[in-house]
Amino acid sequence: MTDVDQLIAKKVADRYLKREVLGEGTYGVVFKAIDTKSGQTVAIKKIRLGKQKEGVNFTALREIKLLKELQDPNIIQLIDAFPHKGNLHLVFEFMETDLEAVIRDRNIVLSPTDIKSYLQMTLKGLAFCHKKWVLHRDMKPNNLLIGPGGQLKLADFGLARIFGSPDRRFTHQVFARWYRAPELLFGAKQYGSGVDVWAAACIFAELLLRRPFLQGNSDIDQLGKIFAAFGTPKASQWPDMIYLPDHVEYQYVPGQPLKTLFPMANDDALDLLSKMFAYDPKARISAQMALQHRYFTSGPPPTEPALLPRPPPKRESIDSKPPSEGGGGGGGPTVLSPSKKSKRVMPHQHDHGTETSGPAPMSLDFSVFAARPPARPTINRFRIIYNFKLLCNVADRSHLKRKLDLEFQIPEED
Amino acid sequence: MADFTTSTHRAKWIFTPQDLKDKYKAANHRAKQMLEKYGSTRVDVDLDGTLSYPDILTDPKDNGEKHSRSKPLKIDEEQLLRAFYEFKIQDVCDAFKFPRKIQATALIYFKRFYLQWSVMEHHPKDIMLTCIYTACKAEENHVSAEELGKGIDQDHQVILNNEMVVLQSLGFDLIVYSPYRSIDGFIDDMEDFVYSNNGQLQLLKDLHETAKMVADKMMRSEAPLLFSPGQLALAALRRSNEEHQVLDFERYLNNTLSRQHPVRTVSELTAYLNAIDQLVNSLVTPTAADMKHIDRKLKYCRDPGSHEKSKKRKHRSKD
Repeated sequence: MTDVDQLIAKKVADRYLKREVLGEGTYGVVFKAIDTKSGQTVAIKKIRLGKQKEGVNFTALREIKLLKELQDPNIIQLIDAFPHKGNLHLVFEFMETDLEAVIRDRNIVLSPTDIKSYLQMTLKGLAFCHKKWVLHRDMKPNNLLIGPGGQLKLADFGLARIFGSPDRRFTHQVFARWYRAPELLFGAKQYGSGVDVWAAACIFAELLLRRPFLQGNSDIDQLGKIFAAFGTPKASQWPDMIYLPDHVEYQYVPGQPLKTLFPMANDDALDLLSKMFAYDPKARISAQMALQHRYFTSGPPPTEPALLPRPPPKRESIDSKPPSEGGGGGGGPTVLSPSKKSKRVMPHQHDHGTETSGPAPMSLDFSVFAARPPARPTINRFRIIYNFKLLCNVADRSHLKRKLDLEFQIPEED
Repeated sequence: MADFTTSTHRAKWIFTPQDLKDKYKAANHRAKQMLEKYGSTRVDVDLDGTLSYPDILTDPKDNGEKHSRSKPLKIDEEQLLRAFYEFKIQDVCDAFKFPRKIQATALIYFKRFYLQWSVMEHHPKDIMLTCIYTACKAEENHVSAEELGKGIDQDHQVILNNEMVVLQSLGFDLIVYSPYRSIDGFIDDMEDFVYSNNGQLQLLKDLHETAKMVADKMMRSEAPLLFSPGQLALAALRRSNEEHQVLDFERYLNNTLSRQHPVRTVSELTAYLNAIDQLVNSLVTPTAADMKHIDRKLKYCRDPGSHEKSKKRKHRSKD
């Protein structure tokens, strides 16, 4: 078969047997399916086409573009992409649950080696991204999906970007607020892989505490929470801080010893945590170096992924639990992690620093997680695209050209 | 994404000259058959990538007649037409002052698209615009279809209509590598090699500029489908160095390879660079006159009705 024949055949031949709907995602329905070619269970994201003035969804295209190049055991696999009946279909490997569900599940006890295992897989995926010069920019527990064998994989690359070109400026409106690094909160436009490491540190802390660590309700409050925990950074700790665009002087607070914040963590864990939470992004440990830290190399080894505790598979939970559980009735659609993507886009009314703190509107089905913590803030993708357009408008293009011409690449030999 | 070695570009989109020949032949053959069977080669595309083919001809006499009128393009005519529109891609990108990287990405998309389709099936003018639009999107330098269409007086709906068929034909492999970054990298490396004093640095700058211009030309040849961006970069630099005589290129190649664990020897690499040179030398820039003839042929293949209309018009004017 020629390539073209394959394209045509795929549209008519039902390679994927449709199963139940998993939820409504950011840009369309997500459903479970069986790949008849491999027998594998997959999750298919349906993205409506032709509705938008700007053709194929920008976020979806970015995700496809990057995932095509990133093949790693700790990164979600994009199996296929094809249009069908007015929708673009993205086929992913099926993931059972996500790290947020693990952290929230009060029936689960996470041992120190379980935490070590989850963090190790997170950092492995991240180190791979950074090695390939990709910033994830939306690291948070519900973007860390967990497969049937317990493997953790980075997902949702809709905000990810290639980095590494000197002088390249990015938007600082990335990450859900609670996971945003201090340089981003101070408006940094040139930043690097340290932003992902900070977020990974927040996830590490969340695994230890079993609740989000720094729950700011505005960008200003977020910085306040960070400083209250670690102390206001001194110039000696972070010399470049005062040059950041939105830098403001904060009243000095001393911060608390890490041992007080995380009484359950051992010294190696605390040492790694402190290095991942370094204020100065230049001093912050890299994902690759973090993996070589004593925390991972000494003491009891991380739990095997297959042995990690995780919430019961959804099917079982429906069958075994009484319908009243979760308040949603047993027969409703199971909501796995992709569905939670629906709470992604929440328009903030105000600019950063003055954002209102009330819970943002969500279309999330609460039936699965009975009592949920207050709304997790997320970022507003619309604003990013808007900012990005501003960056790239015609007046700016010559500027961009100059920058791009400066891009450096190690010469390739073959 | 700075890792060519594990890229889809390297794994799926570097071919042998014979591969290319076969692919062009297959696409041309399919379009020819379509013309015979349907009397037209035009494939219409919907927003969601749905393709519709012309209706089959039922009247064999009709078929014979039309066949005699609409002659399919030959393989080399297709190539000329593609070359013409590749030139146009650079024109359009220059007009919008897009960075070189976007220009190169658009060109590579265009080349990859026509490995699978004949220009008789999808008009290169439409595909050219969609490739530029998609390249902007993929390189995070978003320009609205409307803005792009307006800037060159084209219907922006055509751009959007073809987006899905282009994405699909590219297999959704959107990250592509162009020689420019590699050229920058080698220039940086050469700064150490030539023991840079001020005069040398100026010479290197000239070498750099000329190399980028050589690479622009290279991007319109078949070389990007046959060689890696690093090889293209070295070929561009070698050519540029012939003009500027900044360094002993042979010695530089030896030096560079000896510092790494090369997969190829200097003589192998030199053979590649020679082959790239050859491709650049044999690059033809089609003239408007060439195009007029081919374009008319293409029009009749895609839309035989227009042929009849124009005949009728001629007829009338005679009366």
